[in-house]
Amino acid sequence: MGEANRKVHLNVFLRATGHHAGAWRHEDAHPELELDIDYLGQLARIAERGKLDSIFLADGYAGGGSKLEPFTLLSALASVTEHIGLIATVGTVYNDPFHVARQFASLDHISGGRAGWNIVTGAGSAAHNFSRDEHPEHAERYETGEEFVEVVKQLWDSWEDDALIFDKKAGKLVDSSKVHEINFKGHTYVVKGPLNIPRPPQGYPVLVQAGSSEQGKELAAKTAEVIFTAQQTFDAGREFYSDVKGRLAKYGRSADELVILPGLAPIVADTEAEARELEEELHSFVDTKRALDGLSERFTVNLNDYALDAPVPLDKAKPAEEFNGIRSRQEVILDAARREGFTIRQLLYRSNGGHGHITFTGSVLQTADLIEKWFLNHAADGFNVLPQLFPTGLEIFVDKVIPELQNRGLFRTEYEGATLRESLGLRRPANTRHLQQSI
Amino acid sequence: MGGSERKLNLNAFLAASGHHEASWRHADTSPECGVDIHHYVKLTQIAEKGLLDSVFLADGYWAHSGSLEPFTLLSALAASTRHIGLIATVETTYNEPFHVARKFASLDHISKGRAGWNIVTGAGPAAEQFSRVQHPKHHERYESAEEFVEVVKRLWDSWEDDAVRNDKINGILIDQAKVHTIDFTGKHHAVQGPLNIARPPQGHPVLVQAGSSETGKDFAAKLAEVIFTAQLTFEEAQAFYADVKARLAKYGRTADQLKVLPGLSPILADTEAEAREMEEELFQLIDHEGATKRLSIRLGIDLSNHGLDDRVTADGALLTDQVSGMKSRHQLILDLIEREKPTLRELINRLAGARGHFTFTGTPLQLADEIERWFHGGAADGFNLMPQIYPSGLERFVYKVIPELQSRGLFRTSYEEQTLRGKLGLMRPENARISNDSNDFNYSKKEVYL
Repeated sequence: MGEANRKVHLNVFLRATGHHAGAWRHEDAHPELELDIDYLGQLARIAERGKLDSIFLADGYAGGGSKLEPFTLLSALASVTEHIGLIATVGTVYNDPFHVARQFASLDHISGGRAGWNIVTGAGSAAHNFSRDEHPEHAERYETGEEFVEVVKQLWDSWEDDALIFDKKAGKLVDSSKVHEINFKGHTYVVKGPLNIPRPPQGYPVLVQAGSSEQGKELAAKTAEVIFTAQQTFDAGREFYSDVKGRLAKYGRSADELVILPGLAPIVADTEAEARELEEELHSFVDTKRALDGLSERFTVNLNDYALDAPVPLDKAKPAEEFNGIRSRQEVILDAARREGFTIRQLLYRSNGGHGHITFTGSVLQTADLIEKWFLNHAADGFNVLPQLFPTGLEIFVDKVIPELQNRGLFRTEYEGATLRESLGLRRPANTRHLQQSI
Repeated sequence: MGGSERKLNLNAFLAASGHHEASWRHADTSPECGVDIHHYVKLTQIAEKGLLDSVFLADGYWAHSGSLEPFTLLSALAASTRHIGLIATVETTYNEPFHVARKFASLDHISKGRAGWNIVTGAGPAAEQFSRVQHPKHHERYESAEEFVEVVKRLWDSWEDDAVRNDKINGILIDQAKVHTIDFTGKHHAVQGPLNIARPPQGHPVLVQAGSSETGKDFAAKLAEVIFTAQLTFEEAQAFYADVKARLAKYGRTADQLKVLPGLSPILADTEAEAREMEEELFQLIDHEGATKRLSIRLGIDLSNHGLDDRVTADGALLTDQVSGMKSRHQLILDLIEREKPTLRELINRLAGARGHFTFTGTPLQLADEIERWFHGGAADGFNLMPQIYPSGLERFVYKVIPELQSRGLFRTSYEEQTLRGKLGLMRPENARISNDSNDFNYSKKEVYL
C-alpha cells in the first residue's frame, strides 16, 4: 500500500467496565453487566459506529474473575454487528488444534469473514485445570505453539475453496477429490484431517500475535498479520516498529503484510483538565496495598515495604530471563521504570491504567495528535485502544477522536471491505494444498 | 406435575436441508445452507414461533459436507432469539471438562438460561484427529464420560450463586469466600478449579442423553434430564419408556425428572395422498448404490450383489456386542430386519427418512393423533422432531400441527418460563458446594480486582 493512502487501523480491546483497575467502581461503569450479552452487544455496536477495524478480547484459564468465553461471546456479537472484525485470544498450550481450527472456521463463516485469532501460548499456568502436572517452559511453549498453528492452517486448507458443488441432478454435494486429509505428524501433534467444515471465507482468519519477546517478534515476522504490542514511549515504539518490519523480508514478506498496533490506554475528555480529574478519580478507586501486592508478585520484591514516593527498587527485581510468564511485558515495565526513574506511585498509576500499555490522559485533540504522531513517524500502523472506562471512554473515543482523525484524512469514513482482512488491507491467503497439487 | 396439566415437550432437531438423506436434492431445499447461519436463524425463529421447548444439533468430527461448530452456532442463535432452548451435542472423549464447563456456562449466561448439553461419548472414532492412538471402547467411554460430567458439574458449582457482589462502595467485586477450588482427582481427569465464570443462570444447563444401549439407559437414569431416543414402533417406545423411568428410583429420582423424547420424522401434507407423493419423491432421490455400501459396512455383510427387490436377512450380520459405537441403533436395525423382513430397497428407504427414527407420512390431524397416542399411552413425554425437509417440514409442523395440539390442550399456548429448565418443568439444581467451604483457594488479589 502506498504511503499516500495509508490509513490508521484501530482495534478496541473490549472489557465490560474498563482497563483501569478502579474503573468498575466508577459511576459510569456497569460491573453487574459483565456477562450481559445485550450490554456487550451495545459496546460492539458503538465500536462499529466508529468504523473501527475490530474488537478483541483477552483470555485465560485460571484466576478468580468471571468472564464470558471468547468463541461464544464473539459468535453472539457477530449476530448483532455487520462489519466489525472479531478477534479472539486462544492459547495453544491447553487446546487442541482440531477444535481451534474448527471453532475459528465456524466463527468466520458465521460472521461472514470477520474472525481473527490472537495466538498466545498460554500465559500463566493453567496446568492444574487440565490434568497436567506443570506449565511448559517459555521456549517449549513457543515451539509447540508454532506446530499448533501449522496444523490449524493445514486443516483450514484441507477443503479447497470450490469443494462444495451442490449438484442436485448428479447427486453430488461435495467433490470429494477436493477435500483432503492432511496426515500431519509433528513433534507434538498427529492429525489426520480433513476438517469438518469448509474453508473459512477469509481463507484463514486473520492471525494476530501479542508477544513481544525476541522469540515472539521472530514468530510474528514469520506468521502474524497483526501484532499487538505494549510500548511505553514513542522512541521505543519506533524502534520496535522498524525492528519487526525489518524482519519480514527474511520470510519473503513485505512491510504491509504485518500491521503493528501498540496498546494505547487513553483517558479522554473535552479538556485536559477534565481528563486529569477523571484519572484522579479512577486512581482513588484502587486499593493501593492490594495493587502493590500484585506488582510485588511481578517484581518479586515486596513494594509495600517501601514509601510510595520512593524510587522503584530496580536492583531487587527478578530479571526477565528468569520469568516464565508474559516475559515481554515484564521487560517493558522494568524498562520504563528504569528509563523514566519511576517512583513506586508512578509505576502504580501506569500499571492501574493500562496494565503495561501506554497510558495517556488528555483532550480529544491531544489524543488525535498522539495517534497522528506515532502513525506518521512509523511507530505504529494504528492502535489497540484500551479505554480505561467503559462505556463512556469508548463513546468519547468513537464520537470525538474518530471524527477528528477522519477530518485529518487519517481514518476511514466508511467500511470499504466485507471482511476483516479487507479492512486491514491484508490479502486472502491462497490454499497451499491446492498449490502443492497443481505442481 | 399432575396428570391433567401434563404437556408435551417438543424439540426441533436442526439440520441443513432436512433429515431425509436425499432432502438436499429436493426442489424445496437449498443445499448451500449447510454453513449458512441465516438458515439456522430462520429455522430457530420458526421453532420459536411454534413455542417449541428447544432446538438441538447433532455433532461429529467427520467431514461430509461440513457443518458449523455447535457452541459458535448456538451462541449466534441465542443472540437472534429470546425464548427457545438451545441444546448442543458435545462429546466427552476428545474434550476437556474445563473448556466444556466454561463454554456451556458462557452459553447459558448469553442465552439467559436456555442452554442444554447433549452428552455423547464420541459417536465415531476420532482419535486420529486428536493425536490419540485409539478410540476407547464403549464401556470405557461411558465410565470416563461419567467422570467428565461430574467434573463439569463441580466446576459449575465452584461459584456460589451470590459470589459476585459488584459492591462499588466497599470495593468488593467478588466475594472470594464464595468461589471454591474443586480439587478433583479421578481416574481420567485432575482439575483444581474454580471455573473462570460465575455459576450458570440455570445452575446447570439441562443435561441430555441420547444413547439407548443398556449402559446408556443407566447413564441416563442416573444423571440425564432429557433423553433423545430412536424407537421405531409405539410398542417398543412404550417398553423403552417404562424401562428407563423404572430405573430412576434406584438413583433417588422421580419419573418427572427425566423427559423421554423419541425421534419423530414427519412428512406432512394437507392430504395423505400428497404426503405419500412427497415421500415417494424423496425415495426416488436416494442414491441406492451409496446407501447399499453404507449399509454393508454397518451390518458387516456384503450387499453389493443383492438385488434391490430381494429380501434382506440379518444372517452373518455383526452382533450388537461386536460394534463399538451406536450400539442401540445397530440393534434397532437388526430388529427391524427381523420384524419386517424388508427388501433391500425397503430397508434403505425405511432408514433414509431419519436414520432409524420413527417416520410418519400423513396429514397434520393424523400426526396430532399419533402424538397424542404416544403421549397418553406411556410411550413419550414429547418428541424430538426431525422434519425430513427444511424449512418447509418445520413450517408445516408449526403452523398446522401445533395449533391442533394446542386446541387439544396438549401443548403450551405461550412461553411462561424464561429458562429451558422452566419450560421442561425441571428444578434448578442446588449448589452442591454451598455447605462445603473447607477448601477455599487464596486467589491472587490482582486477578480478582483487575
